[in-house]
Order: sequence, then C-alpha cells, then structure tokens
Amino acid sequence: MTITEIAPRNINISQAVAEGLRLEMEADEKVLVIGEDVATQGGVFGSTRGLLKAFGPQRVLDTPISEMAFTGMAVGLAMDGYRPVIEIMFVDFIGVCLEQVYNAIAKIPYMSGGRVDMPVVIKTAGGNIGSAAQHSQTLWGLFAHLPGLRVVAPSNPYDSKGMMAAAVRSNDPVVFIEHKGLLLKRASDFTFGASVPKEAYDVPLGSAAIVRPGSDLTIATLSGSVRHAVAAAEVAAGQGIDVEVIDLRSIVPLDWNTVCESVGRTRSLLVVDEDYLGFGLSGELITGVIERLGMGAMDYVGRHGNPGVPVPAALSLEQAIVPDAESILAAIMRAGAAR
Amino acid sequence: MVNASWSDRYRLMVLMRRFEEACLTGVASKAVHGELHTAIGQEAIAVALSEHIRADDSLTSTHRSHLHAIAKGIPLRPLLAEIFEKKTGMCGGFGGHMHLFDRERRFSTTGIVGASLPVALGHAYASKLRGSDAVAFAVVGDGSVNSGGFHETMNMASVLGLGLVVIIENNEWAISVPFSAASATATLAERAVAYAVPGERVDGLDVQATSDAIGRAVAHARTDGPAIVEAMCYRFRGHYEGDLDLYRDQGEKSLRTETKDPLVLARAFLSDGILDPVLLDELEQSASAEIDELLASVLLDEQPDPASARDHVFTSGLAPFEGIPS
Repeated sequence: MTITEIAPRNINISQAVAEGLRLEMEADEKVLVIGEDVATQGGVFGSTRGLLKAFGPQRVLDTPISEMAFTGMAVGLAMDGYRPVIEIMFVDFIGVCLEQVYNAIAKIPYMSGGRVDMPVVIKTAGGNIGSAAQHSQTLWGLFAHLPGLRVVAPSNPYDSKGMMAAAVRSNDPVVFIEHKGLLLKRASDFTFGASVPKEAYDVPLGSAAIVRPGSDLTIATLSGSVRHAVAAAEVAAGQGIDVEVIDLRSIVPLDWNTVCESVGRTRSLLVVDEDYLGFGLSGELITGVIERLGMGAMDYVGRHGNPGVPVPAALSLEQAIVPDAESILAAIMRAGAAR
Repeated sequence: MVNASWSDRYRLMVLMRRFEEACLTGVASKAVHGELHTAIGQEAIAVALSEHIRADDSLTSTHRSHLHAIAKGIPLRPLLAEIFEKKTGMCGGFGGHMHLFDRERRFSTTGIVGASLPVALGHAYASKLRGSDAVAFAVVGDGSVNSGGFHETMNMASVLGLGLVVIIENNEWAISVPFSAASATATLAERAVAYAVPGERVDGLDVQATSDAIGRAVAHARTDGPAIVEAMCYRFRGHYEGDLDLYRDQGEKSLRTETKDPLVLARAFLSDGILDPVLLDELEQSASAEIDELLASVLLDEQPDPASARDHVFTSGLAPFEGIPS
C-alpha cells in the first residue's frame, strides 16, 4: 500500500462542491452555472472554482447583480431543457428574487399539471460566520414552508460533493444550502464524512445519517450544527448521557424513518436548529414524530436554536443566540434533567 | 407570415374578440370561478405579433395573456378549456387562466406583473447557447415596466446581446393608477436608450403599423440584440371582471371604446375599397361560429378529479405529507 492510497485528500468543502459540479457538468452538457462572481472568481467561497476554465463562459456565466433576472432566467432555461445551477451568493439575498423561486420554479410543475419540470438547483450559502443580521441566516425553514422545493443542507465534505451531484441530477428543484462556517474547513477538520473520493458519486437526497449512535437522547440537527452536536455528545457521554446525533441532511423531504426509529429507541428528542425556532423545522419535526409515533412515544421533547432574533454583530451577543457545542451541551443537560 | 392577407388578419382579430367574449360568459355562468382578465380592445397587437413569431421563438406573457396564446399558435380548445377550469385544459385545470404553459411551443405566462421578463431572458439565453436565431418575445403591460425585473432583464439582455423582443402593451392603466402618474418618462420607448437598444412607440390600434414596428424589432433581435416596441392601446374592460372601474372617466371610456375600437377601425379601413363588406360579414360570421362551437364543446367537459389535487407538486412524485391526514 502506497502513502497516496491511505492518505485521504485534505480538500475543503468548497472544493468538494466544485468537484461535484465539475463532474456533473462533464456528464451532462445541459448543466449550467449562473450567478455573481461564479466564473472568473470561482465563487466568493471558491465553490465554483475551476469551472470557467473547464467549461467556458457560456456554461459558467458571471452575471450583473441582478438576482431577479438570473433566477428567472433559470426558469426559461429549464423550460428549454437546460439544468441550471444558479448561485445566490448568500441565502439572505433571496429576498430580492424569491418571486422567481417560490412562484415560478417551485410551482410550475404543479401549475402545468405535471407537463413542465424545473430541474433547477438554487445553490446558496447560509449560516453564521460573524457577519451579523443580513449575512448570517439559514432560512431553510422558509424554503421548506413553500410547496415544490426540495431543501438540503450538508454538514461534511463527503455529503457536500455527493448531495450536489444528486441535486444537479434531480428533476425537482433543489435549494442547496451550504454553511459558510464549513465551506473553508478541510477534510481533516471532520470526524465524519471526511473522505471524498475523486470519482463521481451521489448521496441520495432525503436520507438522514446517524453520525453518532446513542441510546438515551436523539438529537436531530443539520448543517453547521452537526459537528457541534457531536462534540457536545462526546462531553455528555462522560457525564452519563449517551446521545444519538442524526444529521438530517435534507429538510424536504425529512427522513421520518430514521428519526422515528431513533426516537422509538431513546424516547427523547432534542432538535438543534440554527434557523429561527418559530414556525420552522423544529416544530415540524416534533409534530411529525408525534403524528407517526403517537402522543405517548416520548418522555422528553425539546428544541434549541435561534429564539426568533436577528443574528447580532458583537461576538458576545452572537454567542448568546447561535447554537454552538457549549450551548448544545447545556441543552442536553436540560434534557437529561427533565427525563 | 409577414405577408398575411387582410382577410386572414381581420378574421383573426374578430376571432380573438369572440374568444374573450366567450371567456366573459364563463364569469357570468360561474364556469370560471376565479378572476378573469381580458384583452378586449388590444387585439391588433396580438394579431401583429402573430405575423412575426416563429414556431421556434418563445413567448412569455402575463395575467392578460389569452390573445398572446392564440398568437403563438396554442390550440384554442385546450386554451379555452384551461380558462374554464377543465380537465381537458392545457394544464389539466391546475393552472387556470393566468398560468398557461406549453413547453413544446415555448410559451408560458405568469400572474405576477413583471415576472415574465426574466423568464424570457432564459429563453433568449437558451437560443444563444444553441446558436439559434430564435427570438424570445416578452409581452408585458405598462404596469410591469416599473418593476425591478424590467430593468434587470433589459440590462442583462443588452449586455449579453440576446435576442429579446419586449412588446409593451401600454393600455394606460395599471389597475387604477394612470400611466401619467406612474412613469417618469413620457414614453416607455425612450427608456430603451438606457439599455443601448432600439425602442419605438406605435399606435397599437393600427394592426399594420404595429406589425411593421414588431417586424423591425424582430429583425434587430435575430441578429443584433434586444428591442422594445411600445404599442399604445386602451383596456376596454376593467382590470378584471368585477372591477367597478370607477377610477376612469366614464365619458372618455365610452368615447374611446366606441370610436377607437381596433375592430371597428379595421373594418372601416378595409371597407374603403380593400375588402368587400359582404366578405367582412362572412369573416365575422365564420369566426363567431368557430368560437360558439368551441365554447359549447368545452362546456361539456369535466373538471379535474379532486383525488388528483395533490398530484404534480414534485416531478419525482415526492409527497412529503403522504399518509398524514390533513
């Protein structure tokens, strides 16, 4: 065995995403990448780097700051048989083009009576990175509320590449939310999903993963919070609470089988969600488990996330709002005390 | 199609008027249970459009789209059936009169004012990727040009050199707000300068003049880049059926609908030595009979099965709430 065979590639998540895109663009000439700074710059986080050189300026298109125009452009292109990947640089910017996302991309398959599909990927970066209220949201709950959109948010390098491949191949529109706090992290920073094969592969959309098995409490979480939850679970184990951490990976659809199977064993569910708590993923997940397992299935239910507050600027304030390993550990201890 | 005969032209204008009138009967009979927007009074523009649009060109339209669909060659029966909420409609009754889609004919509409323009941009870019001279038409109203999507689309189409023809039907009213109170520029054609593209205003009641203007815009778009045609017209009905239309001066409205009806103007022009009035009568009767027969047929169709109401949300068949009582 040579050294190159045993050493995993230490690429970062942006590189994994770009590699997933490159392989799909090689396989299907109908795949396009369109957005601000995606071509020459290769994306502000580098997640489209190398695509311009590989595929040229027609398939990898730098646009003006005109999200409404280029998001709607994806609609016309999809009607004409293309598979556009549009990049909304920060998910917070969706406000200026949500019209084309929720009234056109999400609804046209339905409004056309199934006659027109919309194989569009809305690739965007969410999550906290110290950039305060207008550049730190996750918003997956917002997209998930609207019918017609698959919504996914990977937590590690392996999934980032494979889920992007699956998103591009999907005939349903997919909102692909990267986490800004993860994009520049390297494979060596991860204890799960760290090995990224060079060849093409996909990770089916809609399946959750048990990242850390446990028997006392189920944590359901996703995206940037997964590694924090795993770190907190390791500490909690030393204090007698054996936590199972589920990486949901997909918000629409939710993998009810994996969540319900786990909760059926632990009888305790803690949802950790970087998104706003109100009217979102945490409430949906808890309700869905009750609908499936019944009112008596759980001895503990809790949620930990942003309590409906714009993400503040100062680090001291931010830490009071955004879940991290320390706050998740505290939530685990509350759950343990409540059981 | 550029050299359309006057008899074909006139018959199509009448057919479009009768089609919209057939839709009005659906509101009265409650066969159409939602809102309805007709383009009565704007037929000359749609006929002019039909003379230049090719099968491989795309067309995106608005909430007031029936005549544009006819101009694009959408078969009348599935079109009327969709407006009448029938299973036999072009979208199976899932879309309704504001949401019409025909992928093969590169035709779509949206109920959101201004939102059709970015979609047209996508069609225009697809033509560029294919190396085709097929043009993307976007027909919009004077209300939409004040939305951000108009500006973004015109700028991007121009900077990318795309074959986009924007036809603005300026009917002078954005629901209750008059054009004079909504536009900083005296005309919309002059806004073309801001995007370094040609733009012209034309009398949209005059089918020949409108056809000539669209012809010039299309010729430019097939080879050089986007163009704007602002066609002046007047909305004969309220914004939607049921609109009390109290914001418009009723005297002016009566005068304009009576003396500036494009069908009346066309008939007067043709009667003056171009076509025999007897032939004009026959064309009118023929168009009316076609629509009468169509309407009678569509009314016999069924509405879609309520058991299908959850179908088609996802192309893949994904049903997130399957099995959950709701």
